[in-house]
Amino acid sequence: MKQDIVGMIYTGERVDELQDLTRYRAAAALPMVGRYRLIDFTLANMIHSGIKNIGIIMQKNYHSLMDHLGSGREWDLHGKRSGLTILPPYMSRENVGVYEGLLDALHTNMNFMRRSVERNIVVTDSNVLYQVDFRDMLEEHLQSKTDITLLYTKDRNVRRNGRGRYLDIKDGRVERIEFDPTIPRFENTYIGAFIVRRELLIDMVDRAVASGQHHFSRDMLAQMVTERIYRVGAYECPGRVWEVDSVQAYFQSNMDFLNDTFRNQAFRDDKPVWTKLRDEMPARYLGDSRVTNSLVADGCLIEGTVENSILFRGVVVKPGAVIKNSIIMQDAVISRNAEVENCILDKQVTLRESVRLIAPSSYPLVVAKNLTI
Amino acid sequence: MQQRKSCVAMLLAGGQGSRLGILTRHVAKPAVPFGGKYRIIDFPLSNCANAGIDTVGVLTQYKPLELNSYIGSGAPWDLDINTGGVFVLPPYSKGAEGEWYKGTANAIYQNMAFIKQYNPDYVLILSGDHIYKCDYAEMVAHHVRNQAALTVAVRRVPWEDASRFGLMNTDADDNIIEFEEKPAKPKSNNASMGVYVFSWDKLRFYLEQDEADPTSQNDFGKNIIPTMLAAGEKLVAWNFEGYWKDVGTIESLWDANMDLLQIPPPINLHDRKWRIYARNVGEPPHYASSKGVIRDSLVTEGCEIFGEVVHSVLSADVHVCEGARVIDSVIMPHAVIGKGALIRRAIIAENAVIGENAVIGEESGNIAVVGSNTHVEPGTQIKAGEQLGE
Repeated sequence: MKQDIVGMIYTGERVDELQDLTRYRAAAALPMVGRYRLIDFTLANMIHSGIKNIGIIMQKNYHSLMDHLGSGREWDLHGKRSGLTILPPYMSRENVGVYEGLLDALHTNMNFMRRSVERNIVVTDSNVLYQVDFRDMLEEHLQSKTDITLLYTKDRNVRRNGRGRYLDIKDGRVERIEFDPTIPRFENTYIGAFIVRRELLIDMVDRAVASGQHHFSRDMLAQMVTERIYRVGAYECPGRVWEVDSVQAYFQSNMDFLNDTFRNQAFRDDKPVWTKLRDEMPARYLGDSRVTNSLVADGCLIEGTVENSILFRGVVVKPGAVIKNSIIMQDAVISRNAEVENCILDKQVTLRESVRLIAPSSYPLVVAKNLTI
Repeated sequence: MQQRKSCVAMLLAGGQGSRLGILTRHVAKPAVPFGGKYRIIDFPLSNCANAGIDTVGVLTQYKPLELNSYIGSGAPWDLDINTGGVFVLPPYSKGAEGEWYKGTANAIYQNMAFIKQYNPDYVLILSGDHIYKCDYAEMVAHHVRNQAALTVAVRRVPWEDASRFGLMNTDADDNIIEFEEKPAKPKSNNASMGVYVFSWDKLRFYLEQDEADPTSQNDFGKNIIPTMLAAGEKLVAWNFEGYWKDVGTIESLWDANMDLLQIPPPINLHDRKWRIYARNVGEPPHYASSKGVIRDSLVTEGCEIFGEVVHSVLSADVHVCEGARVIDSVIMPHAVIGKGALIRRAIIAENAVIGENAVIGEESGNIAVVGSNTHVEPGTQIKAGEQLGE
């Protein structure tokens, strides 16, 4: 059933530590788990929470994201009554098209918020992967009578020394908030999603921008918490949470899906994760194929060995080729007797015959798109 | 008034397909899964999409529910457009009387109003039980070039098999001079594929004439084609070269699936210029565990493989549990193969659950079949050629 919630997804995070992976794409467009992009999981959360009106705030390098989303059809977001609204950056008198932060972006896209009719709004970042039902979050938000409710996790997997937003929570209220501490003191990590009454958010953003603020959490949220202007609540995200903010985090978040528990958490029969289609044929196993503990997407042709790896759509593994602990994005070709270990091969990479590309397991190597080695 | 169309396709999807046994007890034949991620009807619909034919009527009659929901708006085949698209056409009552489709020709006759809306030059008649890639646009061009009243797609079959088919005997210029249905002594090996291009005015004339004849069986092969030949109409054959398989029987359906495992496969489904489209199932990539083995097989999204899969075709969301072995078999969507089960030369239909250590099929002999939604008790044995299911 349709819920009284509008969704907004901010895709403007700066994630320099993703290196070449985000050189030409927004973090939201990162290829994930064999056939998805990161934003698919955020969209799935919203769709399965009954959210049908979703605005996506674009910032830089959003071509691949636009290409991926299209009309929103694959997510059933191409309706007349609501659906997907792409919000690209634009220049205006007070705005040069580059957002300093989420607050800027929300202010620039105020029209989308004003035009929406839903009573509540969920705003999320796009580089965190988790499964949540925003209906449950809304219910807790309404019951606890807070003005704004933040989504957080106790999952230690997303704690980073020197980075992150950590919450001190007492009786469901955020008492203190810490930014980028060398060693986080609080066990609760804010994962960049909040729910609030839509008109209240419009008012909050107006006031904050009027007083010269740019950053949603760093400026506005921090002020809310310390000066206690608003009641800031918190809702714990169930299950595993992945923050995709570095090459290692990207690698690990993908590899975790080789684990049955995490795969079953993310892919439930009643909550499919939709994505853009390629209409590939099923994966073909030929000859001496040997594939263990791996995820393999459609369109792959496997004649070699694949261990502990993720193969995106249309990957070709020739006889004698060996892939270990690696992420191979779509249409890569691993030629005869080539070997790759602990690597992330971006789209359309070709490894020539007998090439060996072996990185240490602690530091996966990224091979940029379209390279032939 | 609808926008005029040069060619409208009519897909005959109403047959029960009784030769497929329990596989078609609950679904129409065109909705039967094929090749891992497809259903049989994906082939003619994708051919239409690829050939630029954007207006398709699908004539349904037998157990249409699953077929209708599969076709839906036609979006998977780009057939959800404003000026045409795909239309499911069930039999309906006309005035005082309503009637089932009496035969292939009658099914089209009853839907002439649909065709009239588009006032086409040509009508393409297709059936929903063949696996092939075919550029219908070329066939229509052949029809136009020859100024034919009817063009019949034919393919050469081995002479020893010819007597099993409807044969089109032609002269040197591909004109059809005689039609023989399954003759004991074939004069040619040009087998009809059941794919026709009619000029609309001719089709209309002969359908009306046929309908007025109470002795007619209202069938294209038995009635319309012989009548047109007798009337001296220009009937030409169009030679189709390429893979074509009638999947109307258990054995041929299994065979066609196994064909996809040949190296190279006789039909290329990896062709980016001529994709076969299918409805999205929304499943993640398949998972091959360290306990499992997969060889010489097709495996698609959503599968979880903890056992052994050899020379088989697995559809979406199939679970093969530890110690289970699937050999020379076709497993349809959402089936579960229990621990230690052994599946050989079998077709396991949708949502079937095979209990632990069950043995389905044998190393040789006919294909064993487990019907959809069937739960096979642990330890059950199903011999070659047996069918189990409701």
